Amino acid sequence: MKFHHQITKLILTSILFVLFASISNNILAQDGKSLFMKNCASCHALDKKLTGPALMGVEDRWKGNRKNLHAWIKNTGSYMKTSNDAYAIALYNEYGKSAMNVFDGVLDDKQIDDILDYIKKGPEVKVAANGDAGEKPESDNTLLFGILTLILAVVAFTLMQVNSNLKKLSDDKEGIPAAEPVVFWKNRTYIAFGIILLVIIGGYLTAKGAIGLGRNKGYVPEQPIFYSHKVHAGINQINCQYCHGGVNDSKHANIPSVNVCMNCHMAINEYKGTAKLYNEEGEEVNGTAEIQKLYKYANYTPGKPFDASKATAIPWTKIHNLPDHVYFNHSQHVVAGKQQCQTCHGEITKMDEVKQFADLSMGWCINCHRETKVQFKENGFYSIYQKYHDDLKSGKMDSTKGVTVEKIGGTECQKCHY
Amino acid sequence: MKKLYFISSLFVVLAITSCSDNGDRNPHNIYMPDMAYSRAYETYAYRDSATFTQSESERGQKIFYNNAPVVGTISRGEEMPFPLAKDANGDTTNYYASKSIKNPIDTLTEKQLVEVERQYLINCGICHGSKLDGNGPLYKGGEGPFAAKPATLVGDARYEAMPDGQMFYSVAYGKNLMGSYASQLSRKQRWEIIAYIKAKQKEAKASAAPAASAAATAVVKK
Repeated sequence: MKFHHQITKLILTSILFVLFASISNNILAQDGKSLFMKNCASCHALDKKLTGPALMGVEDRWKGNRKNLHAWIKNTGSYMKTSNDAYAIALYNEYGKSAMNVFDGVLDDKQIDDILDYIKKGPEVKVAANGDAGEKPESDNTLLFGILTLILAVVAFTLMQVNSNLKKLSDDKEGIPAAEPVVFWKNRTYIAFGIILLVIIGGYLTAKGAIGLGRNKGYVPEQPIFYSHKVHAGINQINCQYCHGGVNDSKHANIPSVNVCMNCHMAINEYKGTAKLYNEEGEEVNGTAEIQKLYKYANYTPGKPFDASKATAIPWTKIHNLPDHVYFNHSQHVVAGKQQCQTCHGEITKMDEVKQFADLSMGWCINCHRETKVQFKENGFYSIYQKYHDDLKSGKMDSTKGVTVEKIGGTECQKCHY
Repeated sequence: MKKLYFISSLFVVLAITSCSDNGDRNPHNIYMPDMAYSRAYETYAYRDSATFTQSESERGQKIFYNNAPVVGTISRGEEMPFPLAKDANGDTTNYYASKSIKNPIDTLTEKQLVEVERQYLINCGICHGSKLDGNGPLYKGGEGPFAAKPATLVGDARYEAMPDGQMFYSVAYGKNLMGSYASQLSRKQRWEIIAYIKAKQKEAKASAAPAASAAATAVVKK
């Protein structure tokens, strides 16, 4: 019995030991990729110069000498002091004489070897997804329909003419006296009908054109750089206020300066998205070439440090313009009014090129001020409207209808015109 | 005569309809251009270089205006300027000296925290992740367009030990592939965001510690 007990104990401990060993082994054999991601990826990529050099083929460049490479990785500074490696010195000078972080005590030899093995092997080749994400804008069929209508109208007139001629023939045969058929462009009924039609259509178009004077709905200017809001704000989920932070405390939603572009484009120098880019004419645009245009304005050469003081401004074309006699303030609408950008600018996250979404007419402004409810609660800006707060509380004012912008003076002339 | 009248009126109609609002590359016709396009100097308005200058050297000959606040002034509610300048290329003296500079904001009120978190998500979260794990939508574990791994602000001992001042240096002047955020965030906002990051780091440590000690006790019991 006692013997049995000992055997089970032995088996149990051995099983435990094996288990433990396998687990610890697993931890030790962390794959190089995760180590690379954790320790190297913030400055190095495999195929691209970032803060440090691209690491693909690093061992060949070091002539396969892992010992030197280990010493360099662990402490670049002391390696430089102890050895006269010409390649290392050149590399150090090329990258602005800034040493790499010290990895002595962070990574052991085994881990460095794992990372080097990972670099040698390279990343798994990803199968490119069959991207048909970019849909081509639909073409306009208005012209085709117009021509069709014209042809049908001519056919109808000819048939009517034929009809009256035939009637005349049959009347002659039966001996009924009939007048000579009038050609349709001399027929008074037709002329009167035509004039009425012309007045109606002409009047409509004149009124529409006159109302549209000075309005720019649908205006899509060609910008100096094809900047796609769809890629930035839509696909990459960059918040509007990352670039247009001025909406928080200014009348203007500021246009970002070049250094804001370069925050990301120092590292992103090519467009690799699956969504294809199309301009307003439906032509495909090369995203990488557009980034190169940015580099020209920024005076930036990839691999060299970016100096914001040498950048030149990009002459963007202003799209949304209000006449001089209208005052509009972004911060009032975004911070106090808690409006979304899309309310006035449309679905910006789906636009490759920005198009003016609203006509920015006075009727459009007033209409929104009449309909929009102000967020009254938990909004410091409206805390002084004591009467409305009291009325809302006592039920004198219908809280489901709420307080519209009009009620707090949003349609007064001098709110916007002064 | 009658014919001429008819044709000319048709042309007027056509001319007016041609300025109706169809989407196009050029701005549409305007009734009074002097009113529509401001004559007053608005933000981003084009300034004639014959009259205006942005360079100090031409001061006196032309109207000098460069949009910058007067030197030595601090706007209301703003924090004091950072005492260290940006290092020259390859130099790291000020980067290390910045370690000693204290954060003027130690604690954030509940109300501040909401606004600071919003600012963090707008300006930092895009790379450093909404969970501060260095995996924002631009990086996406290496899948995104941004090639370099952003710093793991919570869960990496290096950044947990990094003093506030050094973080401020990196945010204000940029570090490695991160650009300067001085134009996007005011000094106060920068310090507040750093305070937010430090609070999040502390929070993560506090929640990790009881779990670790619980695991330790469990082992002991076995």
